[in-house]
Amino acid sequence: MTEKTFDVTRRTFLDRVLMATAGSVMAGATPWAAIAAGAETAGAGKVRLGVIGTGDRGRALIQNIAKTRNCMVAALCDNYAPNLGKARQWVAAGTPEFSDHRAMLDARGLDAVVIATPLHRHAQHTFDAMDAGLHVWCEKAMARTIADCGRMVERARARGKVLQIGHQRMFHPTYLNALRRVKAGEIGSITQIRASWHRNNAWRRKVPADSDDRRINWRLYRESSAGLMTELATHQLQVGNWFLDGVPTRVIGSGSICFWKDGREVYDHVALIYEYAGGRKLIYTSLLNNARYGCEEQIQGSKGTIEPELGRIYQEVPARALALQRMQADVKRGHKRTIPIGGATWFPELPVTTPGESLGWGEYDETMLQFEGFGEAVRSGKPLPGLLQQAYYASVASLLGEQAMDRGEAMTWPTSLVTI
Amino acid sequence: MGTRVELHRFGGGAPEALAMAQRAIELVDDALTIHRPSSATAMNEALRHGRTAAIEDPILFDALIQIDDARDVTAGLFDPSVDARHASFGWRDIRLDRRAATIACAAPIALDFGGFGKGYALDRAATALRDAGVGCALLSAGESSIAVIGEHPLGGEWSFAIPDPRDAGRPLIEVALVDEALSVSATIGAGIAAPERGAMLRPGDATPIVAPRTAVVIDRSGALAEMLSTALIVADDAAARRLHDGARRMLFELEPDAPTRMFV
Repeated sequence: MTEKTFDVTRRTFLDRVLMATAGSVMAGATPWAAIAAGAETAGAGKVRLGVIGTGDRGRALIQNIAKTRNCMVAALCDNYAPNLGKARQWVAAGTPEFSDHRAMLDARGLDAVVIATPLHRHAQHTFDAMDAGLHVWCEKAMARTIADCGRMVERARARGKVLQIGHQRMFHPTYLNALRRVKAGEIGSITQIRASWHRNNAWRRKVPADSDDRRINWRLYRESSAGLMTELATHQLQVGNWFLDGVPTRVIGSGSICFWKDGREVYDHVALIYEYAGGRKLIYTSLLNNARYGCEEQIQGSKGTIEPELGRIYQEVPARALALQRMQADVKRGHKRTIPIGGATWFPELPVTTPGESLGWGEYDETMLQFEGFGEAVRSGKPLPGLLQQAYYASVASLLGEQAMDRGEAMTWPTSLVTI
Repeated sequence: MGTRVELHRFGGGAPEALAMAQRAIELVDDALTIHRPSSATAMNEALRHGRTAAIEDPILFDALIQIDDARDVTAGLFDPSVDARHASFGWRDIRLDRRAATIACAAPIALDFGGFGKGYALDRAATALRDAGVGCALLSAGESSIAVIGEHPLGGEWSFAIPDPRDAGRPLIEVALVDEALSVSATIGAGIAAPERGAMLRPGDATPIVAPRTAVVIDRSGALAEMLSTALIVADDAAARRLHDGARRMLFELEPDAPTRMFV
């Protein structure tokens, strides 16, 4: 892609975000998006970011930062040298590299850090960066414990720093458009969301000779991750809270190591029900041995369904006028005609197979856009409104789900959370 | 019964007629269901273990007699025995002792009354309505089993359009009923997009019926109509020729993208 074509694509993408968020209702529901889309080009220099953690995800973030107009990677940090080597190609020659994040913080010259380390390190890395006077962009989920999630919020507040968590769907034009159509009442009242992330692979990485399993496969161990809940579900729980415009009141669930009995400690098979006010529910499943239904959120209302990952909206098909009821009406008005009956077998509840309508706007660069928004927040010293609350609640929901499965009992939404 | 039952009464009869008809249907369901404990499941439990089952439930007993009586009419092609893959035995091996009200079989067997139950239930409901003085009514079980009492409320025959399963918006045939019952069976479901829902096996040799077929049968008895429509679906060519009569017992071959052919 040339610079020119990228600019055109970028402009189109931003226009779609702005179009989706236009209007007072959407501005209230997605106050962060328009700010990010309106990011200024770097006048007084780009926001200088130090990236802690340059593994697969960290390198993906670095490539997105490189596309932004207002941010740049000014330092790299990873305690595993091969990761640093792989990241080097995406940054300017001579970009400082560190194996210890404290050394990077001490070296100064940064406005903020990007944290893409294993989950159990997020909180400490955030505390250290903020204590060093830096703003923080941290991958989701926020932290390994609900308490640490709260402490991260409190530390940001105490230090007067921006804390932004990587939930890119909040910048995704298709999701924004889906929410706009929900707010417009197109699918009626949402009473249920079915969300799933189904894969068919071990989720296990090959361990190089110079490393060890717990370091490379940290997602499979309780100490460093809640597995599917924090690495995948948290994205979709955020979408659930967002579209249901609230937080769960209670969660019940069941988790198991059902298929990959390879020494891992985290569940490879989870099923949960999150209850929301008014009897609404988010039903969540994730598993690692069947990819048939993939990753999706089915947002179901009385008038229709939206499936953002698929990018489609479906209207409910009006119930067929039952032939015999129509016959009754005919008789009452003295009209006799042939009665069309159902046929050989009556299937009352088959799935609706109408093709639906495209939500459109499938091309996206939402990860880039969330960094542009972060750049604006760092420049102004003001967080993008609404983002941290969404992220905090999504992380709490994912960790609460883990507790519900571990304990085998319903967990109510904590009353001791930090107020945002 | 796992289906929607509708009772439409037009004038006349006792106020409680519909409640009595509803009760008649519930009693049939209670007796013949195999999806919860019932007289039928108790009987099956005995038959599975090679024991002689005493039939104390009069509805179950009457249903068994009707099935037994219909053997010749259906050329033995209606067989309520479960899992016809075990083609070495079936209803023909059943010993129904009408005087002692017992049933037995030389081999382990179980019975599933399936579609027969719908037609039979409508028969008993229609009887309840007639007994209550109702002279005009329409009864439906899932719209694939219909019974009518008397003429249409506006006079003359009740006319029904049966859809082509390949295109639900296109009628396959129109039929007219007065004081009769109708049964529709098919090897394909509600639309060609729901294939194999009606997978059926031919009794005796357990041949799966893969050809797209629809059978339509009109009879005074809803139960017999059900048994005949099933028999037509699973019949081989020779048996189908014997069973169908062109106007009251019809069998349609419904190859996709081919003209509809009524079996002759």
